[in-house]
Amino acid sequence: MSTPAPVWIRPERIKELSLVGVIAVVVVIFGFLVDDYYSGQFFNRITTSVVITAVLAVAQTMVVVTRNIDLSVGSIVGVSAYLTGQYAAAHPDASPVLAIGLALGIGALLGAVNGLLVAYARVPAIIVTLGTLAIYRSWLVSHAEARTITADSLPSWVVDLPTRTVVSVGSLDVRAVFFVVIVIVALLAVGMQRLRWGRRLYAIGSNPEAAAQAGLPTRRLVFGAFVACGALSGLAGFLFLARFGTITVVAGQGLELDSVAAAVVGGVSVLGGSGTLVGALLGAVLIDVLDQSLVRVPQVSEFWRNAILGALILAAVIADVAIGRRFRRRWSAEARPHTRVTEDEPADQAPALEASDA
Amino acid sequence: MVEPGGGPVLAMRGISKRFGATRALDGVSLDLAPGEVHALVGENGAGKSTLIKVMTGIHAPDEGTVEIDGERVTLRNAADAQARGIAAIYQEPLIFPDLSVAENVFIGHRDQGRVVRWRRMNDEARAILARLDVHLDPRMPASGLPVAAQQAVEIAKAISLDVRVLIMDEPTAALSAHEVERLFRQVRRLRDEGVAVLFISHRLDEVFEIADRISVFRDGRHVATHARDDVTRARLIAEMVGREQADFYARTEHHAADVVLRVIDLGRTGRFSGVSFEVRKGEVLGLAGLVGAGRTDVALALFGIAPAEAGTIELGGRPVRITSPRQAMELGLAYLSEDRRHVGLSLVQSVTSNITLPALGRYTSKLGLVDRGEERLAAEEFRGRLGIRTTGLNQPVGLLSGGNQQKTMLAKWLNTEPTVLILDEPTRGIDVGAKADVHHLVDDLARAGVAIVLISSDLPEVLAMSDRVLVMREGEQTGLFDRAEATQERVMTAAVGET
Amino acid sequence: MPEWTRERTWEVLLALILVGTVVYNASRSPVYLDIDNFVNLFRLSIEKVIVAVIMTFVIINGEIDLSVASVMAFSACVLGAAYDAGVPFPLAILLALVASAAAGFLQGQVIARTGISSLVVTLAGLIGFRGAARILLEDRSVGAFPQWFTDLGREDLLGPLPFALVLFIVFIVVAGVVLHRSAFGREVFVIGDNAEVARYSGIDVARTKVVLFTTSALVAGVAGVLFAARLGSVRANIAEGFELDIITMVLLGGVSIFGGSGTMLGVALAIGIVLNLRNGLGLANVEANTQTGVIGALLIVSVMVQNLLDRLPLRRREAEA
Repeated sequence: MSTPAPVWIRPERIKELSLVGVIAVVVVIFGFLVDDYYSGQFFNRITTSVVITAVLAVAQTMVVVTRNIDLSVGSIVGVSAYLTGQYAAAHPDASPVLAIGLALGIGALLGAVNGLLVAYARVPAIIVTLGTLAIYRSWLVSHAEARTITADSLPSWVVDLPTRTVVSVGSLDVRAVFFVVIVIVALLAVGMQRLRWGRRLYAIGSNPEAAAQAGLPTRRLVFGAFVACGALSGLAGFLFLARFGTITVVAGQGLELDSVAAAVVGGVSVLGGSGTLVGALLGAVLIDVLDQSLVRVPQVSEFWRNAILGALILAAVIADVAIGRRFRRRWSAEARPHTRVTEDEPADQAPALEASDA
Repeated sequence: MVEPGGGPVLAMRGISKRFGATRALDGVSLDLAPGEVHALVGENGAGKSTLIKVMTGIHAPDEGTVEIDGERVTLRNAADAQARGIAAIYQEPLIFPDLSVAENVFIGHRDQGRVVRWRRMNDEARAILARLDVHLDPRMPASGLPVAAQQAVEIAKAISLDVRVLIMDEPTAALSAHEVERLFRQVRRLRDEGVAVLFISHRLDEVFEIADRISVFRDGRHVATHARDDVTRARLIAEMVGREQADFYARTEHHAADVVLRVIDLGRTGRFSGVSFEVRKGEVLGLAGLVGAGRTDVALALFGIAPAEAGTIELGGRPVRITSPRQAMELGLAYLSEDRRHVGLSLVQSVTSNITLPALGRYTSKLGLVDRGEERLAAEEFRGRLGIRTTGLNQPVGLLSGGNQQKTMLAKWLNTEPTVLILDEPTRGIDVGAKADVHHLVDDLARAGVAIVLISSDLPEVLAMSDRVLVMREGEQTGLFDRAEATQERVMTAAVGET
Repeated sequence: MPEWTRERTWEVLLALILVGTVVYNASRSPVYLDIDNFVNLFRLSIEKVIVAVIMTFVIINGEIDLSVASVMAFSACVLGAAYDAGVPFPLAILLALVASAAAGFLQGQVIARTGISSLVVTLAGLIGFRGAARILLEDRSVGAFPQWFTDLGREDLLGPLPFALVLFIVFIVVAGVVLHRSAFGREVFVIGDNAEVARYSGIDVARTKVVLFTTSALVAGVAGVLFAARLGSVRANIAEGFELDIITMVLLGGVSIFGGSGTMLGVALAIGIVLNLRNGLGLANVEANTQTGVIGALLIVSVMVQNLLDRLPLRRREAEA
């Protein structure tokens, strides 16, 4: 066994740092391809556009680390944006805190429904969230009755929010929204690292069998992950409202795919158990930088976006599996099915051990 | 050493446990005193695993009581046993690969606060591991650790839970000699601190090195308990195997014939090496040894599931490279696996469909459609021939009893009309009547000219059915006996190793 | 096939629900029982139902294919883009089908060889092939297809039955035979129940999976072409969200999401239910989007009920020998 290394860099940090590196490389390359690439305007555009995807990527990560997925986040964004918009339009003097709280609450509620079905009714997450994706969206459509929320009906604090700046460095503006999102992600990231709750989410995804045997309250934890994801999606809905002002019934459609893409590119393993919120954030940034940069290269049409995104996801997943394989092969029972049986237990035996679920 | 005094920390009294037709434990009594290393030896199928499961609360006993510190207790589940200070470490450690070493040690502790105190957790983990003479950076992810280190982490976990009874099931199986030494130091330390260690192992030399007391199990019964200094290896072996040869095995004499399968110096890294043998037409070659000896690995190499990396395989005199089960089947091989529920049978499919599965091509018309009539005929034939009891051949095979499932699996492979049939624990977990049926069948097959490799941990079975016996231990071939010279003691000695 | 109490129960349940749905709809609308209405039901959803048939195989095999709707769009866009570029129409159709099959082959290879779950790979496919469709046609729409093509989608072939419906009936019957009566179908079931058993029994699991995913995408490609025929034009955003209906049809049909069991008859009944449901809701002036919500709820409930049924001791253990 090795003696402890004097300087310890956690493997997650390495992934995060390499993401920063890739972003830097991308920026440099495009700097050559595009005129006037390095401008404050570009920075501002990115920081404005990335916040929604970033929050969703973080939301998705909370669920993915437990070896689940949430495809309904796009619909949650739509519902939250619309309802919050309605509320703000009807109560222009209401406190912003209430409005944001409403968005969070709606998201948390919708996430709780997902969590109940996945954790307690034991329906696979892919099925549940495929269904709620449709159910939430259809509810919104029937609730909205084809009315659109328009920007001018919203109080000014909502509409002005995206442009409010905390500090300006030359032509680079640090937008308030961007700043707040960074702070939230940072806080959550710290939470995932330091809170017992966060570490246990990783445990569940890392080895569900061991988690059950260690007596972890797996159902409650998974439920909590979906609630958190929903709440964050609700927040993203609020940001969506602030950014676009005009909310139709199709608001947020398709965002779930972006969230999964950003998380995966950001190093979150689809097998669960690893990946950081910061990584997901960086993944969202990378995708957005690529996106915005490609727009400025005239030869490449904007329609390349999805194709590239799909290819990126596949590449990131293959890389993750290729690296993860080497470590995981030893632990998974599936790798050696022929040694699974115990020596003297015949076929007619009692079922496998029952976990204690709080 | 801790003063022996007071009663045993854990006592099992009169424990019985049945699974369907089989009695895994029969009135077993065993007690563990604080501050001792108590070894448990016995063949495969002697009941050791079941005992562990009863001790850790996974199975409830049908009869008998469990006492902790002299008080009767009922262990409701694994977490309950753990809360009472009983922990078990198995051959394949349950680790969270993505979490750090320290987290692996402390996860699941109920008295931890909301916030993880990394510095303190790391320091404590480091300290516990140091007491085990293991120096790891507790911040490392557990995925990169070798097996010995993972085991240490599991022991550390048990220590952190204030374990009083630590059960170790074949802990040295994957360790090097050096690592075994270290493990023993750890075990001794635990013992000195008052922990009762139940040490289950096949390796008698290790048992004699580490144990204070040794208990022997056989056929689900407790045979004897000795103080280490009061017993010899020979005595232990005799107690492990000693039983009368029943003579319901009817093996007709075999006459020499052509070599059908020859294996020369076969090996696969990390699994087995240097295995060489021949099997002749109509001969039964028994493959004896203990769990982990590598016999199944040899079978998997022959059948193309986990191909050999070194050595040669010759079928009918011609060297072949076997890389897939389909290819093995085309060459005339068949493999009846030991794990009928997980890789042997499709529990959802019918008896008929399981029987015809490997040979499905034979029942398929040019259009690709299956002739169900033909299938049914074949299944009927086997039902009669093997005596498979089922309310209907359309029944999902998962509903059948263990013995009938085994017969279905046999039918499945017999249906491929193999030249070489490899049977891996064909009578495990089935009742006496079914066992006799299987033995007669094996004999019939041999008489009809099929070459049979019989992997079995049931010594009397191996000795009665085989024309020759090959013994493996730790991936190596340690003995090859003719029928005449194979005795239980000789085979067992080869299986557990020389002193 | 073994006679499963559970599968029979489910089919009977579905038949009852189907009858109930039809009766209810008929009571609300006098034109409902008209044969033309039924034909229309299928005509409008032909693309979904043929993909549901192949999806049955995929899910029974223990996998899932989320990319089908995107491959549909991809195929339609290949057709449109090729035709637009002057390729003779029959050749353009061929190109579309080949491209779809290639898409499925690619996904199948990745799934079979790398062991990455089909959920992830086909999710990437869902994103990627939709993107490829957008690259081909961008914002445009291509139409003005040859008359014989659009007639195929609209006119009747056999009595009152249009080409598409005849195709579907033939397809589902053949598929049912393949699934339940052929060696290949048997292999699909066994792999779905336990891939290791299949492997140990000499089945080439990887090859089966590649075949399934290639076929799945090919059928989606055919669906895309049919869509083009029906609509008379193609865009990059067609078939969005179709995978929901398709997967619901299969799971409602009693196919287990975990693989290894299910019947084509069940799926046929479920298709009937879903189509009648949408139709009835439509006649009741329920919005398309709300209909989708109902389908989503149906999907979740199907699996929940299946879970419940699995826990009930519907079977009892064999008596001892």
